[in-house]
Amino acid sequence: MGKNKIRLILIAVLTLTLLGGIALYGLAIIPEKELNPGDMLGIFIPLLLVVFMTFLILRRYKDIKQGMPLEDERSRKVIIQAAAKSFYVSLYWLLCISFFESFFANKLFGLEHLDAGQTVGGGIAGMAVAFSIFWIYYDRKGKLI
Amino acid sequence: MKNRIKELRAKYNLTQEDLAKKVGVRRETIVFLERDKYNPSLYLAYKVAKALKVTIDELFNFEG
Repeated sequence: MGKNKIRLILIAVLTLTLLGGIALYGLAIIPEKELNPGDMLGIFIPLLLVVFMTFLILRRYKDIKQGMPLEDERSRKVIIQAAAKSFYVSLYWLLCISFFESFFANKLFGLEHLDAGQTVGGGIAGMAVAFSIFWIYYDRKGKLI
Repeated sequence: MKNRIKELRAKYNLTQEDLAKKVGVRRETIVFLERDKYNPSLYLAYKVAKALKVTIDELFNFEG
């Protein structure tokens, strides 16, 4: 099996694992209590990532069928630039979470403080969203360093 | 940096996809190259020039 196909299968497996995790999380919390904004974000953001990854997998599958490489120098540059920009954004996002921790805890979960899992989860979600947005921007814009 | 990729591609009746396969890159890379929105590495510039049977100087025109 080609290297490209193996990589695509791995990405598909990761996406399915994430979807499975979302389903389990949803099944665990939905029947137990009324969902607060934080719980809904915990489902919505990973779901958004699953949709994004599914779109990517279908596009890449079509490319493999046509004999196109999964990545080339330009696509690697797009990833590198998106990663660099999202790193800077995530630094400010993490600072924002730490400064406004009580506000987020109160508004999203109805709590006084965020626990470690919620803080880390929020940080990672922000980084993932930032990376996705920058990836789409640089992929469409064209002008790269 | 301007280039003659589209002109030479038409001369050899190649689609963007054909050229991309010949050079070993994704079709979007050829699209952005033709629109002067991507500056290729020297290696990629050489591969594109070789695929279109010209030299790098004949293919790309650096304005500046």
